[in-house]
Amino acid sequence: MKTIPLEAYLVVSMVLFGLGVFGMIVRRNMVTVLMSMELALNAVNLLFVGADAHLGLVDGQVFALFVIALAAAEAAVGLGIIIAIFRLRRVDSTDEIVDMRG
Amino acid sequence: MIQWIVFIFFSLLAILSAFGVVFLSNPIYVILSLLSVLVSIAGIFFVAGAELVAAIQLLIYAVAVAVFYVFVLTAVPWEKAFKKDSHYRVSGLFSFPLVLILYLEMLLVFLIGIGVSPKGELRELIKKLGNTEVVGSILFSKYFLAFELVSLVLLIGMIGAVLIGRKEGQVYEDDTP
Repeated sequence: MKTIPLEAYLVVSMVLFGLGVFGMIVRRNMVTVLMSMELALNAVNLLFVGADAHLGLVDGQVFALFVIALAAAEAAVGLGIIIAIFRLRRVDSTDEIVDMRG
Repeated sequence: MIQWIVFIFFSLLAILSAFGVVFLSNPIYVILSLLSVLVSIAGIFFVAGAELVAAIQLLIYAVAVAVFYVFVLTAVPWEKAFKKDSHYRVSGLFSFPLVLILYLEMLLVFLIGIGVSPKGELRELIKKLGNTEVVGSILFSKYFLAFELVSLVLLIGMIGAVLIGRKEGQVYEDDTP
């Protein structure tokens, strides 16, 4: 029985996580920044499950479930913040929110 | 061998769609690309033998969270983002085949994934019980406290989202220099 080696999961997860971080930095639209964050979270999930398949455990799958639940909560709060910012300031780009000089 | 083919297929699909998430300009296309990434990663989960996580990924992530993002995009008017190029009416014709492709991808993930998923050659317990039972037993014994804390975090997140997103009385002008 040949299974997929851990390195293959590592490479795919690394590429996806890098693209997610790149999108978080480069994107201007706030909703797409959140979507890039979902991409990075999914890369982490992929590595959890791949390491599980390599080690023969199920703990990583439990943690993947936790990550999915917390990502749902994070999406709810983040999108609520985006709607509040848009309602208060009428802006939709991260370049226009510079009150804290970030 | 067939596992390698399916793994590489879904990996390439996920990476290609991830490039779409990072580089496409229309937010609706970005959501569709993100949906494609999520479904492809569910296929990789099937290859890795994690059927429960793959099914939850498809049901909760790919359906609930993606629909949530679409709701927010409809709640926030994006005229400013759409103003610079006006060809989206024409490209709306392509949206239906795109959705059909996504649906075919979902069916493909389920059919291929169920066929390919290793039925627990990895450990005796998984072979005897199956993936879902093992995950459930370890979730409700070893990680029970974390499970309850996650439910608390979800409740707090819901309350916070309602509090943050509720309607305010006054609108502050954008006074940034």
